[in-house]
Amino acid sequence: MTSASEISFDGVSVDFGDRPALSDVSVTLTERRIGVIGSNGSGKSTFARMLNALVLPTTGQVRVHGLDPAGQAKQLRRRVGFIFSNPDAQIVMPTVAEDVAFSLRGRGLSRTEVAERVAATLEAYGLTAHSAAPAHGLSGGQKQLLALSTVLIGEPDLVVADEPTAMLDAANTRRIGNHLLDELTQQLVLVTHDLNLARRCDVVLRFEEGRLVERGEPDFVVDRYEREHA
Amino acid sequence: MAQKNRFEIRDITRIAVFAAIIAVLGIPAAIPAFGGAVPITAQTLGVMLAGAVLGSWRGAAAVAVFEVLVFIGLPLLSGGRGGAGVFAGPTGGYLIGWILGAFVIGAIVRGNIRKPSWWRIALGSFVGGVLVVYAIGIPVLSLVTKLPLGQAALSNVVFLPGDIIKVIVTTLITLALYRAYPAAFGRKPAVTAKASVSAR
Amino acid sequence: MIALYREGTSPLHRAPAGAKVLVFMIVALAITLSAENPFTVPVAAALAIIGYLAAGLGLGTLLAQISVVRWVIVIMLVTQLIFLPPLAAATNTGRVLAVIVLAALITLTTRIPALLDATEHALGPLRRFGVDPARVGLLLGMTITTIPVIMGIATRIRDAQRARGVPVRPATFVVPLLILSLKHSDELADALAARGID
Ligand SMILES: Nc1ncnc2c1ncn2[C@@H]1O[C@H](COP(=O)(O)OP(=O)(O)OP(=O)(O)O)[C@@H](O)[C@H]1O
Ligand SMILES: [Mg+2]
Repeated sequence: MTSASEISFDGVSVDFGDRPALSDVSVTLTERRIGVIGSNGSGKSTFARMLNALVLPTTGQVRVHGLDPAGQAKQLRRRVGFIFSNPDAQIVMPTVAEDVAFSLRGRGLSRTEVAERVAATLEAYGLTAHSAAPAHGLSGGQKQLLALSTVLIGEPDLVVADEPTAMLDAANTRRIGNHLLDELTQQLVLVTHDLNLARRCDVVLRFEEGRLVERGEPDFVVDRYEREHA
Repeated sequence: MAQKNRFEIRDITRIAVFAAIIAVLGIPAAIPAFGGAVPITAQTLGVMLAGAVLGSWRGAAAVAVFEVLVFIGLPLLSGGRGGAGVFAGPTGGYLIGWILGAFVIGAIVRGNIRKPSWWRIALGSFVGGVLVVYAIGIPVLSLVTKLPLGQAALSNVVFLPGDIIKVIVTTLITLALYRAYPAAFGRKPAVTAKASVSAR
Repeated sequence: MIALYREGTSPLHRAPAGAKVLVFMIVALAITLSAENPFTVPVAAALAIIGYLAAGLGLGTLLAQISVVRWVIVIMLVTQLIFLPPLAAATNTGRVLAVIVLAALITLTTRIPALLDATEHALGPLRRFGVDPARVGLLLGMTITTIPVIMGIATRIRDAQRARGVPVRPATFVVPLLILSLKHSDELADALAARGID
């Protein structure tokens, strides 16, 4: 049974050559806000990247909202938006408006339709004043807002964010965090070292050394993680 | 199928990034002075490196992209020059020579082999980066200025010492890059997940 | 990005970018082909002056453009005076100078995005040879976006090496520049793939 917003991993392992980055991960998720925590190198990013077919399983099977990343990468990427930690690496086109419009490429929309949707999205993210400005001239927080708007203009069903606040100050962390956790209606997978953000999710997964070691109620999983690393 | 497409995107971003590197090497404030005794600009170093590191097609594409941006008016040529005028001027032939030169460098340095050897890099950057560039640049210079070919070639001699130095520097840099980051030479980079950490 | 464009509303500013480039190419070809004709240089000079006035740029801008290429003129004149009679040297130099300032007129009156669009458009006929104009447009736009990023990487490397007290040399500077830039390119590729571009 695959529901519309179900993510399932069945015996998934990923090998990059020497040692496995993920080993034998099996999990089914339908919650709206899914937090992912764990030590450096534990496999969180690998897990997140699989949701957008940026990494494919060496063995096992992945299903994201009914789609198979191995064979349906193109459809999947239309439905899944991805936010990286480094905002600089996500900006493709010279100006803010062009970069947002870039997300709508190849969707068969007319120029006016694209312009309208871009304007509406920039408005929603408070970037209207910067629409003609060079995208790399924005502050770090604004760049991450821009990254969010480039993802959300495509109307994805799932948003995956890999440490989206890693390069932000406290105020921008709160702003981006609030937006992802409270204002989005889409399903969210949030990889983070910020345990306060993880606590606000509906479920938290914890990875260690490529294994999914815990999955459960956020405060419970986070408390235990903190105790072990105290 | 997804894998194959990702390589195409990887090629495109490498071409764009290398074109940007060539542009940045032309900004004097960005790069420390090279000796200073000979007329030398770091931009041709970027052209040689494009061929040696990216290989023939991608290397030539990076140089061509850089030049299209110069052509449409971005002041990216060393000394802040840009616009269609620089292609119409006496040195326009050298710019065209850069594209073919990068291609030839890539063909000699990379061939079918993965690991570049010092003599291939040195030979490639001399043949592609000096001989090919001169072979196109000098006749165009003579055509535009109406100088006889031999005299046009003679007026080019001042650049030879600088170009030889660049061949040597290209060889050293390419070998060092191979030791430090072999992924640069493969189509498939070994580590991407950690890149965001080290690129900070 | 620092462009050479000058704000304006003249007919030259409003003319389509592709048409301007086409007309320039024809004029430049004509000037080059009629090199032997004694009227070529005066006519080309008059054309340049009219062009700059029509674009509302004024003769000051024209002189500024000439001054940008002053070393080209000097080198050309000096090398030619060694081998050619003075009059021939002067007309040759004048002809090249006219083409250069006319070309600059395009750059001064056309925005970069318009020229990018025109480039993409001009590549249309090459589609049958496997050239994808949209992909070329993406490549050009992405390069413009990337220049300040690479510039930032270069600045950080230089500062870091200065802070450590090591002398900044071509190899010690360019190698890390290449590594960090290529890593940035791989991150960009991931971001593009994640945005459904392939
Ligand atoms: N493309 C790759 N090639 C080779 N090894 C990789 C690759 N991607 C990840 N790895 C390795 O897989 C393991 C898991 O990495 P991953 O990036 O998923 O960890 P992470 O939990 O996100 O860590 P961090 O908290 O540091 O971001 C690491 O040992 C890493 O070195
Ligand atoms: Mg990670």
